Amino acid sequence: MRKYAPIFASLMLLAIVVAVAVYQKNKAVAPTDGEEKSAGLGVFSSSADCTRLPQFLGRLKIPQPVLIDLSQKRFTGIALHYGQNYEETLHPEVWGKYEHFGTYALNEQGDIYLSPTPFISVRPTTFDLQKNIYKLDSKTGALSVFMRFDDVHPSASNPYGVISLAYDCEDQTLWVSAIDETDYQSAKGVIYHIAPDAKKILQSVQGFDALTILPLRTGKGKFLLAGSARDNALYAIAITAGVLSSPPRKLLELPATNERIRKIRITGNNQLELQAISFSYTLLAQSTSRDRTYYDATWDATSSEWKMEKRE
Amino acid sequence: MSKEAKTSIAILVAGLLLIALYWFAPEKTAQKKQASITVEEKIILPKNAPEVYQDIPEVQSYKKDIREMVNRGEAVLPLQGRELDDGAQKTQEILLKDQEFLKDTMQDGQILHNDMMRILPAIVSALDADAKQVCQPHACYQAEKYNFVTNVTTRAIVDVRNARVLSVQRYQNMQPDISLRLARIARAIALNAPEVKQELGAKPSVTDVSMANVRGALQESPCENSAHLCVAPVFADHSRERALWAIVDLTELKLVAAKWTRLGKTTTPARISERSLQNRYIMENYCQKNTILERNGWKLSYRLTGSDGLEVIDVSYQGKPVLTSAKIVDWHVSYQQEGAGQLDTTTETYMEGRRVEFVQVGDGSYFFGYNDAMGCPMFSTSVVLPFNAPQIRKLDNGFVLMQDYRNPKWPMACNYRYENRFEFYDDGSFRVAGVNIGRGCGDNALYRPVMRIDMALGDREKFYTYEGEWKQWKQERMGRTKDASLHEESKYLYKIASATDSRRGYYIEPNKGQPHDESRGDNARIFATRFKPEEGDQDLLTLGSCCDLENDGVERYLEDNESIDGENIVLWYVPRVQNDAREGHEYCWADTAIDASGNLVVKEWPCVVGPKFVPIK
Repeated sequence: MRKYAPIFASLMLLAIVVAVAVYQKNKAVAPTDGEEKSAGLGVFSSSADCTRLPQFLGRLKIPQPVLIDLSQKRFTGIALHYGQNYEETLHPEVWGKYEHFGTYALNEQGDIYLSPTPFISVRPTTFDLQKNIYKLDSKTGALSVFMRFDDVHPSASNPYGVISLAYDCEDQTLWVSAIDETDYQSAKGVIYHIAPDAKKILQSVQGFDALTILPLRTGKGKFLLAGSARDNALYAIAITAGVLSSPPRKLLELPATNERIRKIRITGNNQLELQAISFSYTLLAQSTSRDRTYYDATWDATSSEWKMEKRE
Repeated sequence: MSKEAKTSIAILVAGLLLIALYWFAPEKTAQKKQASITVEEKIILPKNAPEVYQDIPEVQSYKKDIREMVNRGEAVLPLQGRELDDGAQKTQEILLKDQEFLKDTMQDGQILHNDMMRILPAIVSALDADAKQVCQPHACYQAEKYNFVTNVTTRAIVDVRNARVLSVQRYQNMQPDISLRLARIARAIALNAPEVKQELGAKPSVTDVSMANVRGALQESPCENSAHLCVAPVFADHSRERALWAIVDLTELKLVAAKWTRLGKTTTPARISERSLQNRYIMENYCQKNTILERNGWKLSYRLTGSDGLEVIDVSYQGKPVLTSAKIVDWHVSYQQEGAGQLDTTTETYMEGRRVEFVQVGDGSYFFGYNDAMGCPMFSTSVVLPFNAPQIRKLDNGFVLMQDYRNPKWPMACNYRYENRFEFYDDGSFRVAGVNIGRGCGDNALYRPVMRIDMALGDREKFYTYEGEWKQWKQERMGRTKDASLHEESKYLYKIASATDSRRGYYIEPNKGQPHDESRGDNARIFATRFKPEEGDQDLLTLGSCCDLENDGVERYLEDNESIDGENIVLWYVPRVQNDAREGHEYCWADTAIDASGNLVVKEWPCVVGPKFVPIK
């Protein structure tokens, strides 16, 4: 019998390896409804902002602070409010010529980049306007199409196109998201990395519908935070050497199933402000004054979990 | 090396290769798992009217107690003795006399239904500094009540020893944890829900259901967009590792949705909401595919469109084609106002989220309003969304297929509710109907649903109007029902028939108030156009102006004045109906009132418009 010992030993070794492999693999593919612990994101703080407000404000002797209004409730396009209780408004008619905007990003020069949004009604021009990002020039205040994405195709079954943008102070680039190609079955949204000087697409990654994006430097590297349009969660995508280098990883979920994160702000050490809206890829208009919910999300490094608090 | 050693090495290498193959083929396994999850996550929407829950003893007893409470002039249903210890009992007595705690229980002299939900010793760490000082040495209690009308939770801290209310806080649009009595009622509703019984295969027993209602913190309710108090009892099926969550609306005492999920600690009721379940169910069952319906000799398919509401297609009666397609593509809503001269249209106007269009008319007044598209709840351009799935109801002499569309806040001002109805009768006749149930932005609204009806009487059809005798329309044109004084058999104003077989066709009977539904007539315009795929065969976004009463939107399809003699004809029928808010004369209107139980009830005065099609004998 002893001569068969090597065979028995190899069979036993194989059995152990098979057991470990089966266990590990099943563990790896098990679907997770719950939020994953976001270990690995690392601690972060509100870093110095490189951006400034438009220079034309000084020429017009408009005092700061200034409120950038994209709510579309009183003014189409972009409006700037200033003065006591922000009662004064700057809104030349031409700032409404490209219809409605959803998000903005400032750069070091004070230019404002704007992403479009369809709002309530579809007009003959609406779908075409969703293919562009726009720029409000810091010096002149002129509003123009900054860049056009010919591969963005809004339609009656998904009227959205370019939906969000963010400026990256580290490398003076723009991050842009579009969700036009996505449908009920699958997420086909695209995140673009743009070099604004050359108006060149540096990278585009398909497969995630980002309703909002924000680059974030943490103790463990750089990430693009993304609020999903498809679920009520915040995700992080690793950025390595300026390139999106990992699949989106879920950081946290909002308590309400129907809410989607529309804006992310860093408000302090390990603290984010998340603004949430109802969103279902329709032209659902807000029908109440309370159309946005605010959450404070704080990363607790001790317990390695996010603490969520809804603002009243 | 021995032969056995060589064999063992060969086994090891082969085994490791097989394991490597297994390890690097993860997608298939994941897909299989995903597929099984999809099957398990079945959504069930109620098909029965809420009246089925009224006979449940727990519901009856609860409603009786509320009625008696209101009759006594009280507004808060107290917790029953077995839910309270001595301190909690005393707390309840103090609070039920406290003016501040009870301040929100009346509205315009009417009592609003409130329930005390729970009273328990206060958690000192959660108190403010002043309360902490008092509550450290003394026993303090925390109490919560819920106002079913205003959707407000009130939380009070009471120093029981000194019989003093330390604080009262109100939480708008928030719902508390529920009382044990309401938990029992929720269980009873879930246990008696026909949909739950059907899913479980038999009437479940009380031991089958666990009450994992929201505990601890104020949470957003999972139904009616968090405007109602709802909970989600769960039926666990351990043998198949799945659970049925039943969402129960305790404001209206009914089941609103249910869902099978995997058993698992991460699947909690907080992740389930009526709206998201409805959206998914409607998308997967009615927006992504057609549903076939066969009944009473009728066979048809139906689906929800992106912006043209409920569409019936390929309709036949006793095997003979009747309709290729029928749908309501748009509702034009307009309001007339005086003072066109003062109208400022330099900036756009939005009303409750809709872009308002203004059209000036000659007499110094103007019309303003908007177009409402009805469509799928996701991935569409609609603003009025489906509420629940399409419903099929029995009529005395047939059946009706209908879809309810609502703005989320209906019946609040500037929120709308429409129904698309298709009535099919046992004699082969049918009716395409639109229903408006208010409420709109005012009492002077003019509604114009645009109906598109494509008959299936062969490739070649003829259209006629009755002027003492039937006269054929040779070219595309428009007619008005109110201009007609003569009707065949006093009913039929139009007819459409096959060009090759004049007996194969339908009379068209406009609504002049005769359907015994208190309707005031269609006052419609009818258009006959030659079929073109681009003219509404697919989804139409919006069609025409909301407020130009001389333009229903269909006029653009008449521009070529094409022949329709023996062509495939499409009928467009555009009723116009004025709403009425006068007391006793309400029409196309909805309102809310407080009933005898202190609860909010919606009063509805629907207006029904649309033509009936009767087979030519």
